[in-house]
Amino acid sequence: MRKAYLAALLGSVFGLAFTTVSAEAADPIKIATIAETSAISGIGIPNAAKMAAEEINAAGGVNGRKIEIVAYDDHNSAADAVRAFQRAAQQDKVSAVIASYISEVVLALEPWAGRLKMPMITPGAASNEITKRVREDYDHMKYVFHGYLASTQIADAVCESAKKLLVGDLHMKTAVVMSEDAAWTLPLDEEYLKCLPKIGIKVLDHIRLSPDTTDFTPIFNKIEGSKPDVIITGISHVGVQPTVQWQQQQVPIPMFGVSSQATNATFWKDTNGATDGVIFNMVSAPDVAVTPKTIPFAENYKKKYGALPGYAAYTAYDDVYMWAEAFRKAGGTDPDKVVAAMEQTDHIGTIGRIVFLPKGDTFAHGMRIGDGYITGLMVQWQKGNPVTVWPDKVAKGKMAFPSFIKLPQ
Amino acid sequence: MLALQILIDGFAISSLYALGAIGFTLIFGVSGVLNLSHGALMVVAAVIAWWVGGLLGPGTGSVYVGAAAGVAAALVCALATYRLIASPIQKSPSIPREEKEIFVLTGTLLWGIMLQEAIAYLFTNNPKTVRPLVEGVVMILGVRTPHNEILTAVLSWALIGLLWLLVNRTRMGKSLLAASMNPRGLTLLGFELSNIYLAVWAIYGILAGIAGVLLGAFLGVSSDNAGTLTASAFSIVVLGGLGSVSGSLVAAYVVGYLETLTAYLISPSIRTVPVLLLLVVVVYLRPQGLLGRR
Amino acid sequence: MLRNRTFLIVAPALLVMALLPFGVGGYILGLLTLAFYYAVFAMSWDLLFGFAGEVNFGPSFLIGVGAYTAALLNHYWLWPIPACLACGALAAVIAGMILAVPALRLSGPYFGLTTLVAVLLLQNVIVLNAGITGGEIGLDLPDVLAVDDTTNYYYAFAFMVVSGGILFGLSRSPVGLILQASGQDAVEAAALGFNVAKHKLVAFCISAFFSGLAGAMLIFYMGTASVGTVVDIAVGVNVIIAAVLGGRRTILGAAIGAIFLIGAGEILRPLGQLATFVVSAVALIVILFFPSGFLGRLLHPEGRE
Repeated sequence: MRKAYLAALLGSVFGLAFTTVSAEAADPIKIATIAETSAISGIGIPNAAKMAAEEINAAGGVNGRKIEIVAYDDHNSAADAVRAFQRAAQQDKVSAVIASYISEVVLALEPWAGRLKMPMITPGAASNEITKRVREDYDHMKYVFHGYLASTQIADAVCESAKKLLVGDLHMKTAVVMSEDAAWTLPLDEEYLKCLPKIGIKVLDHIRLSPDTTDFTPIFNKIEGSKPDVIITGISHVGVQPTVQWQQQQVPIPMFGVSSQATNATFWKDTNGATDGVIFNMVSAPDVAVTPKTIPFAENYKKKYGALPGYAAYTAYDDVYMWAEAFRKAGGTDPDKVVAAMEQTDHIGTIGRIVFLPKGDTFAHGMRIGDGYITGLMVQWQKGNPVTVWPDKVAKGKMAFPSFIKLPQ
Repeated sequence: MLALQILIDGFAISSLYALGAIGFTLIFGVSGVLNLSHGALMVVAAVIAWWVGGLLGPGTGSVYVGAAAGVAAALVCALATYRLIASPIQKSPSIPREEKEIFVLTGTLLWGIMLQEAIAYLFTNNPKTVRPLVEGVVMILGVRTPHNEILTAVLSWALIGLLWLLVNRTRMGKSLLAASMNPRGLTLLGFELSNIYLAVWAIYGILAGIAGVLLGAFLGVSSDNAGTLTASAFSIVVLGGLGSVSGSLVAAYVVGYLETLTAYLISPSIRTVPVLLLLVVVVYLRPQGLLGRR
Repeated sequence: MLRNRTFLIVAPALLVMALLPFGVGGYILGLLTLAFYYAVFAMSWDLLFGFAGEVNFGPSFLIGVGAYTAALLNHYWLWPIPACLACGALAAVIAGMILAVPALRLSGPYFGLTTLVAVLLLQNVIVLNAGITGGEIGLDLPDVLAVDDTTNYYYAFAFMVVSGGILFGLSRSPVGLILQASGQDAVEAAALGFNVAKHKLVAFCISAFFSGLAGAMLIFYMGTASVGTVVDIAVGVNVIIAAVLGGRRTILGAAIGAIFLIGAGEILRPLGQLATFVVSAVALIVILFFPSGFLGRLLHPEGRE
């Protein structure tokens, strides 16, 4: 302790010459990650956060201090996550938290972020409720940031791409919406039902399935019965099973929309290739230079961990950089100052240009979407690889479907 | 058309339920163990089959080797369940007789959690699909049916038939039956009970393993499904009457068709609810189950 | 003799726990707060199993009904916390009676399965009525017991001591003895002129009351009610493991088991995903080699039951 003090004193006397010494000597700034590490979407969060921390530290750290990631496993349980959050804040003294990709968990943590005045961001949960609470009770909830698109924003991105890909290229006119029965899909479906007719796609049926469904045969048969041109998906808890059964039963209708598990690099292997032809929404893809940072990140991640990053890994990586920048601007880790600094964020990350919406906005502390900010991508699994097919300026290929799919003539 | 579709889809899933539950009821009938690690066992079989199949790469051979490896893994786990948990608890002098049941339940439950966590740790909890033994679809009177679905039903019934032959037509099978009715009498006749138990656990392991692999190919399996699979086998077995093999078969079809009917005619999101209600009604009105003995 | 020994073990332990806030940080207090609520779950379960001999696979049905009743009242009508707690406990008793009156006619695995099915049905009701109950996400509560760790700790501690005292006293009372007799041999107990069914129903209601109340208090501590925290089968499994681990038929053992289970899970947190594996393995070893549990061992060191 005394040594650190001395180094800091000398550092201030001799100026820049001693900054590296004090960087090693000062206590690190800790950032917690809370996620289920046996899930592929979850393990990407601590992995990517550690990568970002190493890079920041290699470049000299923040205010002369190193960033340290403390990883907690919450087993996707809200109770475990709350305990981990308390431990992070009270025992391990972290200065910010990057928490979970499950809306249920994030919403359970949100009041605690307010109570313990702990800045927090989620890299993957989508519920609209997260930002709604910030807007309605800003004074208490301002510590929470939404580092992923809200469900409504995702639905808009899917519709936007459908206008070009489905209506424009494939002349589709009808669809069935198939979503899992979960809170994050309520606003998603509502927006789907609103925006699909606007782009000229008639919604013939709207199916909500239980997240613990294992047999999708009746669902696909029912969908086929109404003869739509496309199935618009909203699935996250389920993914492998509907995809495999879709292929095995050779359901002749393409799947298009949100399928979180499909964003994992191992999805091809987990489904034995059944995912060939599935089109899904993603914020970043390993083959597309959304920003100059995207491809180097994906490549380094693969080098380090042996697999391509899942969707929450990109955002978790950016989140560490944004917290680091906020600490730098706030000149320390005082939570109110960090939140104020975070609100000023204008960061080019792996997923695009990240700017948080102001406190009066519908999505207060959510990300600004649209041209020049975050647009989202549509990616299709083709012969073992995810290929970006939308938007045009970054697309790497054309849509291609397996032979059992029948496209409208 | 819809009726035919329900008939075909319900049949495949019901056959699989029957195969999964029949081993469960068999060990209860013979050795009095309700094995709550049942679902974990099926998961182990499916995930090992997926893993070994994947290691060997594409080609038809690897599918069969993978499936065999999965069944072997389930067999090993079943024998371990018996040797390490069920048998020590049943023989333990310090556990009073009337509490053996709760100890076996708790012990196998913990063992199931350990298996499930080990699988999640080694292979993540993402669902895995075993490559089906046969690919492609066939039209049956206008209903598109995957070959794999037909294979699942046929294999399930072939195994159930084999089991029937084994129990009713062989000397070993007769001693199994005798053990379930009067274990003490059997020991008096000079049979070694523990050998019989070992045999029945081995049969159970193979049945659960095959059911797991088929389930992995038909629907896909994640380590998170272990609890649900156990609960579903448990419900079927209670519905049919504990220890009654034919009751379990009937109950498996009741459950399978009730679920399929609900999913087609009402809504897929309440698929399991009518089964749960039926279960409550049956347990209240006829606790011995559909075909059980009092 | 037995009472003396129990007292000698319990009194110093309680004293240490009462003084703990002066010595340790907020994090350990938060952990113990949770453990104390689980301790009440486990003690209530033990009353039913250890004394009435009924294996209730669905403790989280009673916990969940209590918790969600309180949560709904607080979320929609902003009822004050004490009123919510009272209604939660009452609702759990009513739900418990609806379940128990027919179910207690059943025995062994059938009773167990019925209680298990009750949990699954409750879970379905909550998830399917997501518009009202918040479904998967759960309900957030406008009120919490307290934000401060020490206050929360003392609430939970006092609650555990009072419930534990009542449950323990009950188990040592004539009613407890009748329950124990009917649990071990219902026919004989009935032959002696005791109304077995009535006593079991009473045990079920008491178990339901404390489970429901503890569930309601837990959510006001956490600030949210969700299926994963108070209804999921995994919650019930933990309660059962805690009670068996601590020692059946001891009531106090159940509390020790619960504190151990929560504490061990936390100490092993650095192991990440393997933590659950290790905790289950330890519990399994205890059950296989020391079937009378922690407290059974301590109270009967000579190894006699």
